[in-house]
Amino acid sequence: MNWHRIHALALRHLYPLKRDFDLLSDMAYWPLVDTILWGVTSQWIADTSGVAGVATGILLGLVLWNVLWRSQSEVSRNLLDEILNNNIANLFSTALTIKEWVVSVLLLSLLKTMITMSILLPAVYLLYKVNVLQLGSWLAVFFVGATFTGWWIGFISAGIVLRYGLRMQTVVWTLPGIMLPFSAVFFPLDRLPTFLQPISRLVPTTYIFETMRAIVAGASVDYSMLAYSFGLNALFLSLAVWYFVRSFVYSKKLGLGRFSR
Amino acid sequence: MQPILQTTRLRKVYPPEKKGGKEFVAVDGISFELEPGQILGLLGPNGAGKSTTISMLLGVLTPTSGEITYFGKNFEAHRSEILDQVGFASTYISMPWRLTVWENLRIYALMFGVEYKEFARRAEKFLTKFGVWDQRNKMMNQLSAGQTTRIMLAKAFIPRPKVALLDEPTASLDPDIAHEVRRFVRDQREQYGTSILYTSHNMDEVADLCDSVLFLKKGQIIAKDTPENLAGSISKAKVRLLVTDGLKRIERFAREQSLPANVVDREVVLEIDEQKVAEFLMQLADEDIHYSQISIDKPTLEDYFLSMSI
Repeated sequence: MNWHRIHALALRHLYPLKRDFDLLSDMAYWPLVDTILWGVTSQWIADTSGVAGVATGILLGLVLWNVLWRSQSEVSRNLLDEILNNNIANLFSTALTIKEWVVSVLLLSLLKTMITMSILLPAVYLLYKVNVLQLGSWLAVFFVGATFTGWWIGFISAGIVLRYGLRMQTVVWTLPGIMLPFSAVFFPLDRLPTFLQPISRLVPTTYIFETMRAIVAGASVDYSMLAYSFGLNALFLSLAVWYFVRSFVYSKKLGLGRFSR
Repeated sequence: MQPILQTTRLRKVYPPEKKGGKEFVAVDGISFELEPGQILGLLGPNGAGKSTTISMLLGVLTPTSGEITYFGKNFEAHRSEILDQVGFASTYISMPWRLTVWENLRIYALMFGVEYKEFARRAEKFLTKFGVWDQRNKMMNQLSAGQTTRIMLAKAFIPRPKVALLDEPTASLDPDIAHEVRRFVRDQREQYGTSILYTSHNMDEVADLCDSVLFLKKGQIIAKDTPENLAGSISKAKVRLLVTDGLKRIERFAREQSLPANVVDREVVLEIDEQKVAEFLMQLADEDIHYSQISIDKPTLEDYFLSMSI
C-alpha cells in the first residue's frame, strides 16, 4: 500500500470540488432540497396523524439515507468518472494497484459523507428542531451500517460498469434507487406489501432504520436484529468487493483502453 | 548487457464478440528486446498490434500467453515496482477534463512519488519547452489536441522514468513543435539514459529518431533492423523525369521493360532497381528521349512501410 498514490487519487477527486457545481450540488444542494421537502411533508403527516415521533423518524431516516447514498456514489461514480474522462487506462498504467484505488475511494466517501452531514445536521436542527445527535452513540452504529451498505452497492455498480461497459452506467443510479423502498427508510417494514417483505428482510439497512425508529419511539432495541444487519453487511461487502475485483481482472482481459474507443 | 524490457512469445487473443464468432489474434507470439538507452520504433499498419502490445507492456491489457520482463524482473510479479519506472504518453488517452493542466500533472507526479518542489521545477521546464506554460491553469477540456499531446508528454517525463512508452506522441502536432518534441525525446535519452519504445505513423520521424525498428503486421514481427537497413532492403529507386521529347517512346520503353511507371502530363515517375539506374539513363539516350529535369529518390522507410503494409 503506497500512501502517496492514495494521496494523489484523493487530490484528483478533491481538486474539482473547488469549482464544480455538479459535485457541490450532489454534496449539499440535493440533500438540502430533500431535507426541506421531507421536513415539511413529515411535519404535515405528524400533524394530521397525531402519531408522536413520525417527523423525527422520517428526518432521521433521510439523514441516514444520505449517508448510504454518498457512500455508494463515491465508489461507483468515481470509477465512472475515470471512464468518462478517458483516464482509466492512464491511471492503471501507473504503479497504482486496485487495492490502493479501493482504499482511496473509501476514504473519499467517508470525507464527503462527513461534509454532507456537516451541512445536513445543522439544517435539520435549525429548520425542524430535530437533533440527530440525540441518537448518541447509536448514531455511530447507524452511520457504520449505512456506510457499509452504500459501499457494497457502490462496488456492485462499479463492477457491472467495468464488466459490461458504459451501456450499463445507469446502474450507478438505479441500483441504490431500488434499495430505497426495500430499506424501510421512511415507513416501518410491516407497511410494505407482504409479498415484498422477504426481500426487505435481506437488506441490511432495513434493520438499521427499524432500530432507529424504535429508539425514537422509546422502545427497546432488538440487538439480534442489528447483529443480523451487520452480518449481512459484512457478507454482502465481501461478495461485492470480490465481484468488483473479478470484474476488474475481466476488464483487463479485454483491455482498459477499450473504454476510450 | 541485460535488456531493459524483454517480451517472450507475447500473444493476445481476443474472444469472439458474438457467440459462434471467431476469436481475434491481435498479437501473435512476438519476442523483442529494448536495450538500455535505446529508442526502438514500433511500426506497422493499422491493426498490426502496436497499441495492443503497448497496452500489455503497461499492464492495462492481460496477455493471453507469453512473458514480459523489465529490468530482468517478471512484470506480472513486480507490476507496481516496475511501473514506478515507466512513463507513458499516448494521443489516444486523456486526463481528467475538470482539472487544470497543473493539477493533472501534479497528481501524476505524486503517483510516482515526485515531491512538489521538484515537480514544480520540472513541470515549468517541460511546459515552457513545449510552449504550453501559459496554458497551465486551463482545464484540460479547453486545450487543443496538440496542446493535450504535449501535456501528456510532460506527464510521461516529469517522473524521470527509466523507460518511456510513447504511442504516437507527435500526432496532431505542428511540424515545428513535433521537431521540438523529437529533440526533447533525444535529450531525455542522452541526459538520463531513458529507454524509449516509440510508435508513430510519421516515417521520417522514426527514421530520424529510432536506433532500431520493429515492423509489425497482423500481430507478428516481420522485420527488425535499423531504419536505414529496412529502407535499404527496398531496392527500387524512384526516377522522376520531366520529358521534353519522346513521351510516347518512354511509355513504350517502360512497358517493354516491365517497369512500373506513372505519367502525369510530361512528368514520368519510374520505379527502377537502384543498381540499374545508370544503365537506364544510357538507354534513354539511345532511345533519343530528352528530359529537362531529373531526380532520383532513394528508397525510404516510408517506401518500406508501404511495400510491407500491402
